[in-house]
Amino acid sequence: MADVRIRRLEYGDRFKYVLLLPAVVWVVAFTFLPLFSVVRYSLSAYVLGRGITGFVGLANYVQVLQSDRFWHSIMVTAIYVVVSVPVEVVLGFLAAWLVNLSPPGARAFRTIIGAPLFTMEVAIGYLGVTLFSSQGGLIATVLAHLGIDIPWLSSPEGGLAAAILLDVWRWTSFVFLIVLAGLGSISSELYDAAILDASNHWQVMWRLAIPLAWPVTTIAILLRTIEGLKVFAIPFALTTGGPGTSTEVFSSTDYLTTIQFFDFGKGSAMGVTFLIMVSAIIALFFRQMRRNMP
Amino acid sequence: MTNVLWVRASYWSRLLVYILLSLAAVFTIVPFLWAMINSVKTVADTFQPGAMVPYLNFSPTLQSWHEVLSDPQVVRAFVSSVVVSSGTTVFVLILGVPAAYSLARFSFPIPSNDIALWFLSQRVLPPAVVLVPFYLLLVRLRLIDTWTGLIFCYSTFNLAFAVVIMRDIFRDVSTEVEDAAKVEGATAWQIFWLVALPLSVDGLVVTSVLVFAFTWNEALFASALTSQDAMTFSALVLASRSTRGVDFNIASVNTLIGIIPPVILYFFVQRYLARGLTFGAVKG
Amino acid sequence: MSHREHADQFKELACDYLRGRIGRRRFIMLAGQLGFSTAILAKLTRPALAVGNLLPSASGAPYESPITQERVDFLKTKPYKGTTINVMVLKATVGDGLKYHVPHWEEQTGGRVNVAEVPIETLHTQIFSDLTSGLGRYDAYMTGAWFYGDYFQPEQPYIVPIAKFLADPRYPHWDPGEFLPSMKKLYTWKGELYGVLFDADSQALYYRKDIFTNPEVQAKFKAKTGYALPVPPKTMQQMHDLADFFTGSDWGGTGPGWGISLHAKVNEQGFFHFLTLAAPYVINPENKYFFFNPETMKPLINSEGHVRALEDYVKFLANGPREQISWTLGQGWNLFLAGQAAMEPTWGDLPTLAQDPKTSKVQGKMGATAIPGTTESFNPIGGGWKKYDLNQVGNTNGGSWHCVISRFSKKQEATYDFLGFMANRRNAFFNATHGWTGVQPGMRYQYLPPAGTSTIAEWQAQGWNPADVAEYLHGYYEGLAMPLQEEYLRIPGTAEYWHELDVNVSAVLGGQMKAKQALDATATSWEAITERYGRPQQKALYQASFAQ
Repeated sequence: MADVRIRRLEYGDRFKYVLLLPAVVWVVAFTFLPLFSVVRYSLSAYVLGRGITGFVGLANYVQVLQSDRFWHSIMVTAIYVVVSVPVEVVLGFLAAWLVNLSPPGARAFRTIIGAPLFTMEVAIGYLGVTLFSSQGGLIATVLAHLGIDIPWLSSPEGGLAAAILLDVWRWTSFVFLIVLAGLGSISSELYDAAILDASNHWQVMWRLAIPLAWPVTTIAILLRTIEGLKVFAIPFALTTGGPGTSTEVFSSTDYLTTIQFFDFGKGSAMGVTFLIMVSAIIALFFRQMRRNMP
Repeated sequence: MTNVLWVRASYWSRLLVYILLSLAAVFTIVPFLWAMINSVKTVADTFQPGAMVPYLNFSPTLQSWHEVLSDPQVVRAFVSSVVVSSGTTVFVLILGVPAAYSLARFSFPIPSNDIALWFLSQRVLPPAVVLVPFYLLLVRLRLIDTWTGLIFCYSTFNLAFAVVIMRDIFRDVSTEVEDAAKVEGATAWQIFWLVALPLSVDGLVVTSVLVFAFTWNEALFASALTSQDAMTFSALVLASRSTRGVDFNIASVNTLIGIIPPVILYFFVQRYLARGLTFGAVKG
Repeated sequence: MSHREHADQFKELACDYLRGRIGRRRFIMLAGQLGFSTAILAKLTRPALAVGNLLPSASGAPYESPITQERVDFLKTKPYKGTTINVMVLKATVGDGLKYHVPHWEEQTGGRVNVAEVPIETLHTQIFSDLTSGLGRYDAYMTGAWFYGDYFQPEQPYIVPIAKFLADPRYPHWDPGEFLPSMKKLYTWKGELYGVLFDADSQALYYRKDIFTNPEVQAKFKAKTGYALPVPPKTMQQMHDLADFFTGSDWGGTGPGWGISLHAKVNEQGFFHFLTLAAPYVINPENKYFFFNPETMKPLINSEGHVRALEDYVKFLANGPREQISWTLGQGWNLFLAGQAAMEPTWGDLPTLAQDPKTSKVQGKMGATAIPGTTESFNPIGGGWKKYDLNQVGNTNGGSWHCVISRFSKKQEATYDFLGFMANRRNAFFNATHGWTGVQPGMRYQYLPPAGTSTIAEWQAQGWNPADVAEYLHGYYEGLAMPLQEEYLRIPGTAEYWHELDVNVSAVLGGQMKAKQALDATATSWEAITERYGRPQQKALYQASFAQ
């Protein structure tokens, strides 16, 4: 990796801090303090209309850890991320690679394939109902003509599958755009050099593009995973977590617990638990990223 | 900009590429088309899946569009979304761009990489987790159901984008021009405003579009923190399920309305995205 | 005069009085001449209702009937000109019902109404979000009766009693004395009235009377089960047999039909079906408690009786389309209205919607009866099953949606005026007779004799098929007037308790859990909720709710 030295400009320390501090202060105020608040609530009992009614120690955590619904939502979220992210990365990379070959009309393809990122997830979730519903849904009807009957919206597996499909539709474009940007900055001399070495350009892809675009791809994976763990709108709009609570992702469960009946204590405990669980994973990713960032 | 690989590819390879790309394009477009078709159907028609071609299988009507657009709540929500998304973008730029510049140009006790990563880590926070304190904070500040309240919240979540993207952009901006300006006697501020910023427009565009799109899309917070005055379009759509279940035609109209501003922005700024989205990972 | 003639004359007098043809004083005087105790009559005809000068109608106010002279004069001043009130309503049937009256009220009073519609899954949250944040941007909330406990959580309740408005004759006239007693309870707290009449829910069993009484069908049924087709079904066993019999066979002539239509989507009131159908399994002459043990406040929801009820409930799933577990209310009704389901246990919206030929194929074919009972019932407190000839239980299950006035409202008078306007007899009758409003009859004057004072002609004038009216009102009233009634839970946190039940029942329907497991999980959650709200308070309020 090329070295980029940070130039020292002799304007004194004050300037650089003046520029930086507002952002830092803002983040601290709006993240640390709320987090602290969340921890506090997680250790209390909160009742609608009466506020905090007492300190209960770890009782909320015990409840959360014993809650089937909580663990189930973790599992659903995990499945969701583990399935959708790799699919999106592979498809996104492939699409980026193909567009990067710059065939005539590449601009149009780029526009189309990148567009879904700019749609509203909630609307896409409801659109999903129009696609998967067994009463008039496009996909359900097409499959019915082929004799296939999948209970998209009336079974947990079907609901999850449908949500993941929608997610792939929407977020592949995210990976696509990032990887495309990365591939685009590979200079053409490298391609020329590679062509001399390899016999066909699929080999070029394997040996050249993937290694060079790996850092960018890692970023895409990391960002996509972070966003994926927070997933809420698509599954919620599609099935509202149903049937029952079988397709509830973590964010839905936490949201419903917290805001539906103002059970701030349990909702907060849930949130903290989740954060602890994912920090381990995220920390791993971050370490990887640090290696890639010069 | 032709790619040498394309030029040297065989006929079959080229065909394969086109087939795959077309498949991808079709896969992407079909939901949009379906939405467009459904948006001109009546509710009864939406139960006939065979009715796919307007004028041939069913008679299209603008009734659904009229129903949605004539609802003042919808218009208000749309406006709210525009205001909140734009406001957040502006605010994020104000806070984040100077910080990014500072991280790009100067050294700090903590390596600037780490600081940038710390900003990025804010995105790990699921909104659902910090919903409670934000809700109570806004109540205390009497900012519930206001645009300002939402802008504050969204800015926090999206600041990371500005910092990380712009830092990378600034590092690319050559310092020779800045040095020259300094020699001419420009102050640090002037250099920032008049030299660095104009040279980094690409990055500003990318950041703005991303922040706008992510804010526009957000529904959970908007739903919980607004009710009448400041409800965003996202939150409104979230609440649009009727007792009949999801009305296909309304859902389709909502989808199409909802994608208008971000997609328009996207069309305009496509070419800038190439530069800005590498997040500092590729040098070359 | 003979006693008989006295009684007849008194009835006539009473009719005249209630219809507003004679004033209260005159009524008491004439009745006194017949020999009735004026003291008792005076008490019965509470002056707090300000009947005063009641006219059947007035030309200046076409939307109210009856109407007081004071009101007619009051309206002439366009009293609420320049005032706007904000009302939060349910985005659905009852919300539409309310919206219908808005332009009429605005026209008569000069006021303006802003209606915010909220879907049912977030209504409770939105209401209490608004109240707890102290912002109070809404003057009235359309509330489900099961939210009441939460309004009384803080020191000062979030809503205001309406007695003082009732006493003022300048407001639209309506008479809470006309309430069916079991309904009125849902509008009060600790004896005081807080809600203004709108909806009055109860679940009954609706069925295709034309099919049930068809001789061919009856013959086939007898051949299959060995006993005559019960019209109407009286026991759960019969209901199950009927559901099985009708599923998959072509009884309507339109192809294979379904025995039953349920809607069971979570967060959409689907749990009421379970509550209704489970009632006869645990409510019986020995026990009137469904939810909690009144001495310990421990949940009863996972008793043997409840478990068996849930297991039986799940059997109904096979008698309806697979997707019904994710159906909303409207979708469930559509199946029946399209003529494809033989039965549906649900609210009175169904027969009312059936009257609309645009959406219904079953007008004139309705049968209605109180929810079937059981021949065996469990006592969850004392323990043990006991056999009965027929143990039937009535219910007031449902939202009984109506508006309450927020304490923070700065326009309480205008707000009450609007609510009272919709409760006025003319408008209330309109609501009850039109399906899309989602309103069911809760006042005596809406029922046919002997329960009430209405006539079939009145309903027919609103578009009803006469056979359907008779069936509907009879069946509906049957349930409401039963001596054994399922309790309606009216303590703080009811929404939360019922939501836990909803989620767990839905899990059983979706095949994720077994009945006992689900109800045990519910009981555990309920204990946690009770602890959080404070067991002593919950217990006190629970016991008090039975005393009224």
